[in-house]
Amino acid sequence: MSLDSLFKPKSVAVYGASAADSRKLGNTLLKNAASGAGDVLAVHPEADVIDGIPAVAKLHRPVDLALISVPDRRVEAAVVDAAAAGCGAAIVLSSGFGETGAEGRAVQDRLVAIARAAGMRLIGPNCMGVVSHLGSGRWLNGSYFWRIPTTPGGLSFVSQSGAFGGMFFGHMRSGGLGLSRFLSVGNSADVGITDALEWLGDDPQTTAIGMFVEGFGDGRRFVEVARKVTARKPVVVLKAGKMAAGAKAAASHTGSMAGSHAAVRAALRRAGVIEAADTETFFDAMDAAAVGLRKKPVRNIAVVTISGGPSVLAADASERAGLALPSLSAATVERLRGLVPSFAALGNPIDLTPQCPIDGFIPAIEAIYADPAVDGVVAINCGLDLKPFGTGVARGVAATGKPTTAFVLDAPGVEAEMAGAGVLRFASPERAVNALASGV
Amino acid sequence: MKTLSEWESKRRLAGLPYPKELLATSRAQAEDFVAALGKPVVAKASGVAHKTEGGLVRFGIDARSVGPTWDELAAAGDGSVLLAEQLSAELELIVGGYRDPSFGPLVTIGIGGIAAEIFGDVVAILAPPEPGEVAAAVRQLAGRKLLDGIRGGPPVDVHALAKIVDVVAGLLVADPAVAEIDCNPVMVCKGRPMAVDALVVLEDGAAA
Repeated sequence: MSLDSLFKPKSVAVYGASAADSRKLGNTLLKNAASGAGDVLAVHPEADVIDGIPAVAKLHRPVDLALISVPDRRVEAAVVDAAAAGCGAAIVLSSGFGETGAEGRAVQDRLVAIARAAGMRLIGPNCMGVVSHLGSGRWLNGSYFWRIPTTPGGLSFVSQSGAFGGMFFGHMRSGGLGLSRFLSVGNSADVGITDALEWLGDDPQTTAIGMFVEGFGDGRRFVEVARKVTARKPVVVLKAGKMAAGAKAAASHTGSMAGSHAAVRAALRRAGVIEAADTETFFDAMDAAAVGLRKKPVRNIAVVTISGGPSVLAADASERAGLALPSLSAATVERLRGLVPSFAALGNPIDLTPQCPIDGFIPAIEAIYADPAVDGVVAINCGLDLKPFGTGVARGVAATGKPTTAFVLDAPGVEAEMAGAGVLRFASPERAVNALASGV
Repeated sequence: MKTLSEWESKRRLAGLPYPKELLATSRAQAEDFVAALGKPVVAKASGVAHKTEGGLVRFGIDARSVGPTWDELAAAGDGSVLLAEQLSAELELIVGGYRDPSFGPLVTIGIGGIAAEIFGDVVAILAPPEPGEVAAAVRQLAGRKLLDGIRGGPPVDVHALAKIVDVVAGLLVADPAVAEIDCNPVMVCKGRPMAVDALVVLEDGAAA
């Protein structure tokens, strides 16, 4: 069933804003929703207006999306109201359901039954909500997050943890990439990560997908959906809870050695999903996927630098990541000899040295990009802010389209040139290499 | 969980390449088997778990020692003794199967030997494997170079390994009562993998 009403609502109703105290979480939600979505109203038993938004006692007309943030014992009545009005989807942000035990689980099951009987999708309960770019710079913020990115882009993200959603937005603020959709699925009583993945796979606005996962539920369905999506766009997963090996008593070596994470790895491999080992590599791989680095698989890279030590670290990381550092062709080396100092190292890494004549950088770096032995480039520059180094990389990317990542320190002019060419910069030489290699 | 005997486990895993073997129910049968084979065998007590740890696996049993060994191992086990051609292998692997609550049946390939559990070098594949997945899984092993051939020896026949994996996957997929499977060790002799021991574990309540 479509999730259009969830990600592209034309109208939103908010349950749970207080008429007396604007500092309540429900009021944050109402304010967030009203900040972008066009048609917003509040549902409240007494008030006519809350924080400047019109309020009704019962929802008197169908809206696309209901946001429910009332205390747990009043959630069922709100879901009944939204379902009766004919809402397309309802997000229950409130907690106190399946995550608390059998009693909460029973209420949660009733919420699902009410929603399904009315043909309404239910998201949550116990989640942080939805954020979605509605087009033309308009945003739906149907979440508790008060600081969301406002740069539109192709990256969408689905999380089973609300708190990790906050980490994701923190990363998006610092990384500068654009967002398409965000969904926190909470307890996944009705809509789970696989449903969201399926919809995002068909969403033309989404070009890459990141997921934070604690459990896959019906794992085989996830694999079937994910392999269809990865044929069209990259999917990067961070799976939390890898330590379950040996947690269950096993009678065989196989049972005790393989454990649950081996199953996750097998599934993600079949589905063509990129798996990240930890938070840092997850964000790096997701960014790499979002800028399209994964479109061309990279095996043989050139490390182009003026900084000896950091480039050796990059070379070490390349070997660990399964990337080769081929020698440049004789013709390229010949060309470089005429451009760079005699003591420059023309192996790989290629150290042009800080003494390289300023006119030498652009043609030298262009020549490296043009070398057929090289299908990707890692550029490393620590503190030599000579713009032509960055211009050379930008021109190399423009001329060859070879995937490129960079580590740049204290060289804002170089960094600006690279940013202009869409080259991602990372916080260390190793992370620049790993992002280029992610999924190899 | 209930574990089947090695003999019974191997009957369930029909189609695996095994060394020549016999479950000898008498001393005379055992002596005839060794005489006909014409080379030393391994003798294992039957119907006992953790045979190696219990000292109930004996190597290099020849025509002279087979009689007394049968007497001793038959008494320690269920009254029969499993005799098998003794192989000299360049590499030991473990092929197995188990079920995951989320992803269902999986097969595994791992590096075997006495340090297998220390290194924990094992890769799983959703069962049944799709074409190419066994070869891809082997490349995920930390010890993958061991399978390329040791000291100029032949590489492991990955096609033959895939057939073993398919048998394990086949049983796991066909019989929901099977919880876990171990083919340990799978000995690689001149590149050819052979299942030397096998263990099938049934779910609680399953009829053996």
